[in-house]
Amino acid sequence: MIKIKDLEKIYRTEEVETVALNKLSLEVKEGEFVAVMGPSGCGKSTLLNILGLLDDPDGGSFMFNNIEVAHFNERKRADLRKHNIGFVFQSFNLIDELTVFENVELPLIYTGVKSAERKKRVEEVLDKMQIMHRRNHYPQQLSGGQQQRVAVARAVVNRPKLILADEPTGNLDSSNGNEVMQLLTDLNEQGTTIVMVTHSEHDARYSHRIIRMLDGQTVLENIMV
Amino acid sequence: MLRNYFKIAWRNLWKHRSFSLIIVCGMAVAFAAAILLSVTAHQELTYDQFHENKDHIYQLYDIDQRPNGIEYGATMPVPMAPTLKNEYGDIVYITRWGSGEGEYVRYKDKELDLSTRAVDPDFLRMFSFPVVAGDKSPLKELNHIAITENCAKTLFGNEEAIGKTLEIQFGGEWRSMLVTAIVKNIPTNSSFKFDILTRFENFPGYKTNSDRWDNRNHEVFLQLNENVSKASMEKRLPAFSQKYMAGKIEDLKKAGVQPDAEGYYTRMKLIPLEDLHFTNISNTGAGVSRFYPYLLVLISAFILFIACVNFVNLSLARSFTRAKEIGIRKVMGALRWQLITQFWGEALIVSSMALLVGVGLAYWLLPYYQAIFYPGISMRVLGSPLFLAYLVLGFLFITLLAGGYPAWVVSAFNTVQTVKGKLATGKSNALRNTLMVVQFVLSSLLIICTFIAWQQLQYLRNKPLGFNKEEIISIPISPTLESEKAIQLMRTKLAQQPQVISITAADINMGKGRDGSLQTSIMGFDYKDKIIRTHWQLVDYDYLKTFGLQLVEGRDFSREYGTDSLALIINETMAKQLGEGSAVGALLPVEEDKNYTVIGVVKDFHFKSLHQEVAPLTLSLNHVWPLQYIFVRVQPTALASAMEMVTKAYKEIDPRSMFEASYLDENTDRQYERETKLSKIFVSGAVLTILISCMGLFAIVLLVIVQRTREIGIRKVLGASVPHIVALVSKDFIRLVALAIIIASPLAWYIMNQWLKDFAYRITIEWWVFVLAGLVAIFIAFITLSFQSVKAALKNPVKSLRTE
Ligand SMILES: Nc1ncnc2c1ncn2[C@@H]1O[C@H](COP(=O)(O)OP(=O)(O)OP(=O)(O)O)[C@@H](O)[C@H]1O
Ligand SMILES: [Mg+2]
Repeated sequence: MIKIKDLEKIYRTEEVETVALNKLSLEVKEGEFVAVMGPSGCGKSTLLNILGLLDDPDGGSFMFNNIEVAHFNERKRADLRKHNIGFVFQSFNLIDELTVFENVELPLIYTGVKSAERKKRVEEVLDKMQIMHRRNHYPQQLSGGQQQRVAVARAVVNRPKLILADEPTGNLDSSNGNEVMQLLTDLNEQGTTIVMVTHSEHDARYSHRIIRMLDGQTVLENIMV
Repeated sequence: MLRNYFKIAWRNLWKHRSFSLIIVCGMAVAFAAAILLSVTAHQELTYDQFHENKDHIYQLYDIDQRPNGIEYGATMPVPMAPTLKNEYGDIVYITRWGSGEGEYVRYKDKELDLSTRAVDPDFLRMFSFPVVAGDKSPLKELNHIAITENCAKTLFGNEEAIGKTLEIQFGGEWRSMLVTAIVKNIPTNSSFKFDILTRFENFPGYKTNSDRWDNRNHEVFLQLNENVSKASMEKRLPAFSQKYMAGKIEDLKKAGVQPDAEGYYTRMKLIPLEDLHFTNISNTGAGVSRFYPYLLVLISAFILFIACVNFVNLSLARSFTRAKEIGIRKVMGALRWQLITQFWGEALIVSSMALLVGVGLAYWLLPYYQAIFYPGISMRVLGSPLFLAYLVLGFLFITLLAGGYPAWVVSAFNTVQTVKGKLATGKSNALRNTLMVVQFVLSSLLIICTFIAWQQLQYLRNKPLGFNKEEIISIPISPTLESEKAIQLMRTKLAQQPQVISITAADINMGKGRDGSLQTSIMGFDYKDKIIRTHWQLVDYDYLKTFGLQLVEGRDFSREYGTDSLALIINETMAKQLGEGSAVGALLPVEEDKNYTVIGVVKDFHFKSLHQEVAPLTLSLNHVWPLQYIFVRVQPTALASAMEMVTKAYKEIDPRSMFEASYLDENTDRQYERETKLSKIFVSGAVLTILISCMGLFAIVLLVIVQRTREIGIRKVLGASVPHIVALVSKDFIRLVALAIIIASPLAWYIMNQWLKDFAYRITIEWWVFVLAGLVAIFIAFITLSFQSVKAALKNPVKSLRTE
């Protein structure tokens, strides 16, 4: 599903150049659950942003479903992204002004799903995430675990083939964290490919494969048994 | 999707109520002001535009070459109109328009002061004053009249007006008139104002003047054939002057004047109806400068612009705090145009509310506005398609700019960055700062203009005029009285009054009286191979004493000399023009068979407004035409009671008079009505722009402080004092205001210098005006800033650090 070769990302500021990704190569197959680990600043988030088509690389090739997307413009990327990829962030990133229901509905609105269908699908995932009773609440009225479940619900409502999660349990206590990890595992079992960045060895154990990074390169891959 | 946008927009606005309120209020005030001002401008610019034939109607005027330059005049001799119509087939309709007589109307026991105008029957054919009842082609007979709906109501109440007989006084004689038609009320933007129309044949002096070409007492309007242009008609008119005004041309030649470039001594031209309101030549037009309506449009554009800048700036600033939302939406697949539409939707809601409130406000303010600035404007134009189109377009543009632009800027940022909620705000601050500078440039411009206009006005009011204006009452003698007798009666009545110092009279008022009239009479004659031109005023005894004029040479008029009817007193400028060592004793051949003798020279005084330099003036005791104003000088100790006493005395002479006496200082002030109006416009423009700019500043500071709460907290923990923090927050903004003043000053200096050129006597613009205006602007800005910055500085730092 994802095939990356010699990917480069360089951040230039006035004084320094930071090489965030240094000729990184990587492959993720359909249906896989991959964890990315490494010390802070090694480029994990950068990688995830590029995988999620939120950012473009400075060099190398990026094949998504056998299409070269490294040179895609903003519009094409947005189109590909909204139909194929779901995101879960460490800080949830829910819109404060919207209710739980509306937050989850958002991706469907932008992909042009009809209102009745939207309602059905949102309720379906909210049910599955067990936050149906909170549908009319605003994010600030929820606990961190609940917020992250809403974020996961939002990530999956569009039935994406790929979910990218950047430290999804980073802001959660261990029981809430485990709950979210369980959700992700369930999704993976139903066929969704998942790439997750994490600092926690515990969480990484839920995955099939761990990719360890250092200074913008992969240094080691552990296959989980 | 649209509903979704609106829902979210509404919620967003509600969440940030204070900002929304500031924007809505600011915009509403701006809309209200812009509506009132542009309705006024519209009213002014569409004067007389409601006539169907407006493109083919003209007023006739003539241009004479005079010794002192070219003279324009719109008054015409009685035979002019009928003769013109006979001679030129291209004149479809022509009408005379006589005003100023027949003001008194009697019906049963009612006696009223109404405007009766004398016209030819063509008047109602060429102008669109539709007949709503009665004879469709009115004024068939000499005793027929047409009246307006309002007039019918005033005179007859709910009774049927058609067929009623009433009496109108023409030249002192009451005549019975039959109402045969009622015309629709006159629109407020009509130069022609009347209650009653009567046939021109009733105009006083009609009979005696009916074949005299040298006596002028009314104006003439005509309508040309549709395919005849103004220029082509004007080319054909000189032949007419040659034929019928040979006498006048002879006189001009004799006076030694040079003909114009085409060889004419006198010629006639046409004023298009659309220029009537703005021309000085016509007596019917108001001589309003087109500058004023355009200035109004400009100021309303300023105000709208400033409110829009607020809107743009606040939306921009807020969209940065909403960067995270925009980022998330982008991650979820929102396209740029979708984001822009969403923000535009919000802007649309805000501006719709502002517009609603603004229109309401405008309606509510209308009566006050009419009272202070501009009576008689109507909001009816608001409904006109053109106005609506203008409104809708402007509205869409503003909302797109205020809503769409910030979204466009923010949505262009890198998605990853926006999700983090962090944005490089440098670029947007540059834009915000530029807009704020422009805002304050406009505000400072108006502040400076206000100062200078006010200074000039004070200067005009307070400049010594060379005569005493505070203690003199001027009384117009009503035309129904015999003036010499009236003056005599007043003299005897007031002789015993200790409050009265002296009494005199003249044919011309000083300044502009309550009757609104401003007269000039100028005389020209040859003297020692020179052509002399001088203002000519008929006066009565005690003129110098009453006005407190100083004699430089010679003596005053005196009853002891029987010969004083041919004596003259002149001013210094006139003496200079005569060029004598001593002017006293000079014999002036004013009339062909009579020499007048100069007996005295008075110090120059400003008998005209300060727009003009002091001109040559001659005072004569020979009352060849009636005096029209009585002047009474009273003791300065009890001015109000003196006025009452003089009023009473005059009422006894003329019980029916529409008495409109006034102190002269009131009259001289009235000469500067235009300037007063302008300074009122400036003041209100300045107040509004400052108010709205400050609202914007207030809100921006609020946002900046929210963004800097943490920084302020940390600084306080590290020991910064309250003034230090206030200075920290205010510094940047004060700098912008200062920059704005620096930009505005030369602009204002240039504009006001142009304006001051209108006056022969004017102030010089002083540097400290700019400093003062600058200080005022900075002071106001600082006060606005302080509300927020002091609050932020006083906040407990522990609290502000925790909120992050
Ligand atoms: N917008 C940016 N501008 C400049 N440098 C950046 C930017 N974003 C990231 N970097 C740099 O790129 C490198 C990789 O950053 P990245 O965020 O990918 O690290 P990370 O592995 O996700 O770290 P963490 O575990 O702390 O989240 C870092 O050195 C960081 O300083
Ligand atoms: Mg990271």
